[in-house]
Amino acid sequence: MSSISLLLVAIFLPLFPFSMVFNRLFARIASAPMRIALLLAWPSIGLVLLSALGNTLPTWVAYWSVATALLYAFRALALRDLALWLSHIATSAWALLWLPAVFDETARASAWPVAAFSVPLVLLAWLTGYLERTYGAAYAGSLGGLATGAPRLAGLLVFTVLAAIGTPLFPGFFVLLNMIGVSLNTTPATALAVLAVWMLWAWAGVRILQGLIVGPPNDTAQADIGPTQTGILGMVMAAFAAGGIWLSGGLA
Amino acid sequence: MSIPSGQNLRIRSMVYVAGEPVPFFWPMRSFIHHNPLHGFEHLPFEQAVEKGAKLFHARGFLPRRASQRYLADGQVDTETLRTAVQRFVTSQGVSLPLDLVAWLTTELTRQADPVITPLSIADSSLVYAQLHGLEAEVPTLSTERLAAELEQCLLSERPLYEAYDDLFGTTIASDLDEQVIRACLDFFDEGQSVWRMPNREEGFYRAWLAVAGSTVHRTLAELTRDEGQEGPLEPERVIALVLDRLEVPEDQWVACMTRELTRLHGWAGFIRWRSNATDYHWQRRYPGDLVDYLAVRLLLALTLLQQHSKRRHPYSVKALREAIAADPYGLYLRLELNRKDCLAPLAREIEQTLGRGKRDEIERLFHRYRARKGRVEAQRQAERLTALADRLDDRAGLLGLSPEELTQLLELLRALDRKEGMLWLTSMEAKAIARLVDGLSLLPPPPRDKRPFAEALFCIDTRSERIRRHLESVGDYNTYGIAGFFGVPVSFMELGKGSENHLCPVLLTPKNLVVEMSSIGVQDAAALTALEKAMHELKESVLTPFVTVEAIGLLFGFDMIGKTLLPTTYNRWRAHLHEHKPSTHLVLDKLDRDQADSIVRAVQRAVIVKAVEQEFELQPEAITDSMVKELREAALGHQSGCPEFQARLGLDDERLERFVDRLRTAYRINPAFAQLQMERLGRIGFSLEEQTRFVTQALKSIGLVSDFSRFVLLVGHGSTSENNPYESALDCGACGGAHGLVSARVLAQMANKPEVRRRLREGGIDIPDDAWFVPALHNTTTDEITLHDLELLPPSHLVYLDRLRDGLNAASRLCAQERLPSLLGEDKVLKPAAAFRNAQRNAMDWSQVRPEWGLSRNAYFVIGRRSLTQSKKLEGRAFLHSYDYRVDPKRRLLENILTGPLVVGQWINMEHYFSTVDNEKFGSGSKVYHNVAGRFGVLSGNLSDLRTGLPAQTVLDHGHPYHQPMRLITVIEAPLAHARQAIDNVVAVKRLVHNGWIRLLIVDPEAAVIVQYEDGQWITRDFVEADAATDTLSQEALSA
Repeated sequence: MSSISLLLVAIFLPLFPFSMVFNRLFARIASAPMRIALLLAWPSIGLVLLSALGNTLPTWVAYWSVATALLYAFRALALRDLALWLSHIATSAWALLWLPAVFDETARASAWPVAAFSVPLVLLAWLTGYLERTYGAAYAGSLGGLATGAPRLAGLLVFTVLAAIGTPLFPGFFVLLNMIGVSLNTTPATALAVLAVWMLWAWAGVRILQGLIVGPPNDTAQADIGPTQTGILGMVMAAFAAGGIWLSGGLA
Repeated sequence: MSIPSGQNLRIRSMVYVAGEPVPFFWPMRSFIHHNPLHGFEHLPFEQAVEKGAKLFHARGFLPRRASQRYLADGQVDTETLRTAVQRFVTSQGVSLPLDLVAWLTTELTRQADPVITPLSIADSSLVYAQLHGLEAEVPTLSTERLAAELEQCLLSERPLYEAYDDLFGTTIASDLDEQVIRACLDFFDEGQSVWRMPNREEGFYRAWLAVAGSTVHRTLAELTRDEGQEGPLEPERVIALVLDRLEVPEDQWVACMTRELTRLHGWAGFIRWRSNATDYHWQRRYPGDLVDYLAVRLLLALTLLQQHSKRRHPYSVKALREAIAADPYGLYLRLELNRKDCLAPLAREIEQTLGRGKRDEIERLFHRYRARKGRVEAQRQAERLTALADRLDDRAGLLGLSPEELTQLLELLRALDRKEGMLWLTSMEAKAIARLVDGLSLLPPPPRDKRPFAEALFCIDTRSERIRRHLESVGDYNTYGIAGFFGVPVSFMELGKGSENHLCPVLLTPKNLVVEMSSIGVQDAAALTALEKAMHELKESVLTPFVTVEAIGLLFGFDMIGKTLLPTTYNRWRAHLHEHKPSTHLVLDKLDRDQADSIVRAVQRAVIVKAVEQEFELQPEAITDSMVKELREAALGHQSGCPEFQARLGLDDERLERFVDRLRTAYRINPAFAQLQMERLGRIGFSLEEQTRFVTQALKSIGLVSDFSRFVLLVGHGSTSENNPYESALDCGACGGAHGLVSARVLAQMANKPEVRRRLREGGIDIPDDAWFVPALHNTTTDEITLHDLELLPPSHLVYLDRLRDGLNAASRLCAQERLPSLLGEDKVLKPAAAFRNAQRNAMDWSQVRPEWGLSRNAYFVIGRRSLTQSKKLEGRAFLHSYDYRVDPKRRLLENILTGPLVVGQWINMEHYFSTVDNEKFGSGSKVYHNVAGRFGVLSGNLSDLRTGLPAQTVLDHGHPYHQPMRLITVIEAPLAHARQAIDNVVAVKRLVHNGWIRLLIVDPEAAVIVQYEDGQWITRDFVEADAATDTLSQEALSA
């Protein structure tokens, strides 16, 4: 395991301060398809590089990854721009992908945790793009009251954010549960830290939803998403949740 | 600054003045309808609504879409609306090459939303440029002007923490509200909490301070240190010191206090009412007033401000002013960032730029932001104007306007936006007035050859109108309307209750006490009643619920299934298990001195017997009358020893003296207490003169002075509903929010007394011996009328009782049939029996959020003879007060009606009006989220302001107004001079009429004219007799 290869992995499965590369890049991209591509490609590259690392990873990498996850989850609390929020949650989530690699070498190449974390973020990126196109920005506070103004969009946003923050029944929840279980056997403190990350995600999720969904609607006309798109996205979410239960629950 | 102690009084008076606009809130147990803008009744209606709307952040008129629905339903007089628009255009003095009346009428009636949009940056020249596709610069703003605008926005008549929240995105205001609500819930609790706040006897502020957190004490310590005072500060001082610390100019203190009070106007209104209700048990026990409340609120506010600012951000007026002067661009952008109308595409950039804090960057962004926002505003305004022009097919006219003319048009539309509510309101009222007037009749009732079978006096309540109409239709009945307390203000002490209940409008304070007594002795509680009490105690305890759920939870399950699936059957069965109230008598007659003295002695003797039993464990048979007499005389200081008692118990002098002393202190056998008891007994009952006066007044006020029937029913009203904190809102407002039966029983008992009748006869009211006054209760939820005190009925009347009952039952069923479609859906047509059953189910169904509509849709108050409106179906929308001006030459009776019932009617009307136009702010929102708080009010959720007005389920139907919000249209049937003189003599009513809170019409039967008060003028028109064809109601009802 060379330092260079470890550094590369630390960029794509972001560890602070290398995580800044992804966040800077993401903040500069305004196009939704580009963001989606980045959200899919970035951790996949990281996963490939991680599986190529031959040796056993030292435990301090786990601490580093959890610290990164905590840092970005904490920063997400204060964010009101949905695009930035999702990039921070993505960084926080991907950083946690180091844990199975440290504690369970057999799980190093598993693509499932990456998908569990990234798919809802991809959907969220698409919704963010829709909001930005329609309202000029996806900014909590100045864009509020979607629940009354655009109920379908609001509903999709709620479920996507809930999926992104690992709410039970969504795959992210089972992945987090697994991470906690794996860490608990070796370093219980890490498990507690993962729990803290999870709690911060939930808090950040509620805060961003509060700024977007509740309250009186904005003066600007509230254009709701179409029923067909809602149906498609809803089915994707349902399939994603069902797949999560199927795969994570050992039913496959 | 040190506040001299003499200033405490000044602060107190400032708080008093600041609290004036806050409406009282009475405990829910006796819901009192009130005008939420009562504090502004000295102003004309329109101005008051504007002020109230600003103060309470509420809406004062219906939104346009709701008015347009009324227009589509034919409830708006289009001619009046058109004329009003025309008058409005003329009053504005605007001359434009457009058909302005058409433009404004279209704007009002065909545009769903106002065409005018807020223009904070753009001006009309920018809108002009947008309309014509021209380039234009956003008007520039000097730094000084910007600073002035920011000061105006942030520092004028609003609490500092609101400005702080707007600038820094904090939530101090809502956090503060939450903490204050918690403090209020703890302190003002009336027995709902299991763990109670300690030290409540010391008052709200001190009790709260004793349990407040350390941060509050640190803040207080700082204030105390600055004050240079040892020991605790008075609440008045705390208020002054906090305002001083926040550097609020002293001339703004009252405004600032008012704003603080109106943030939670429900709690403030309750505390304001409570501190004025000196007889209120909880106030006497745990005193609290608005000074305490403000001290708590301001101290918490300062603490939160200090916590959030961490001394980095400005949190005083002066510091904020300096900050504005130093960095107006930054503060402007901060303000915009936290606003709803911030330009979203620039929000992230603003946040990041402010985060970097570079002045030049901020200034550049400020100019860019303003330019972009100005264009967006102008574009939006231009689009709306174009849409309106297109609707009128007059785009050319719009584009042909010069920039100056466009400015005028925008100003005109803005003025219309402000005036719109009144235009709709007056047009809607015009329609309602026309509908009422069309159908009034001045024809005298046809002459009768015999007296009616029965006469019934109902409350003036709007719900009586229907039942009266149906009762008149099913038989030979004459009905009258009178305030539900029948003109007798009574303080009532119910059997088994230790407290008094005032049965009269809250405007009056009763002097006489009526006590309910039963000849049956003390009964054991029924098994179910005792079991229920035990259950409640188990539920309220801290630990027992854990066990209770497993042990007896299933019982609650049965109860729940029964109440939910079979509410009528189950509740009837359950009622059998409860103890029934025994037959009772009301003590109505005044006691003379000897009787009172005898009662006091009897009580003292009973107390002494109990005392001897307890202190010496003597059996009652061992205590002789002479021993008791000795002890009583000794305790009262009339003799020095008690030889028989001493000898019987073998007591030495010292022990006897100790016991006698204990009788004086612990058992209150002493002259002072005896005197107090005598005074209290003096309040019981009415003298014969008083009884005669009240009966005379009641009968004369409704014009019933001859032709008395065999039965004269005095029908009070009340409601029945399950699981409904607002039950008392459905009861009788004239009886202080209680059932009206007691008042009916009181007047009936008086009127049936031979002595009273003899005196009445001397006064010219001859009630025949076979006329009997029977009290009854009209249940407005089920429409059932039940007769009471039938055991007192003369045997000669029993034979007619079945006929009477049949008539009442028929009226009840017909009334239910008419009323039920409004609850179930207009397409539901039920037979009378089915409707009656359905109404009964409503009264017993615990999931029913709307057991009845109550006083919703009230619109009219008619003071006149029954014949005036008898041929008119008023759909339960009118308060009907019977009045015959011919028996009231001195106008005293009319003045009484105006002073009491009309004012109460206006309160009810305004409560409904404001609860409808803004149910969230003036009403209490949906019942679904309500929780009872402290046993005196309801909250939405677990923490909110006390909900003051009416719930959505009372005034709204599927989110649209069910109650039609209009001012009370009042009709007085009397000669013009007679009526005007009476109005002029009652200042409160004169003010309501002149300020437009009441729409007044006088129907002059002698001159056959209708005179209407309109915009400060009396407008006369001829009275046109209604077509006889309208009188089809009786036939319709009978055939149904």
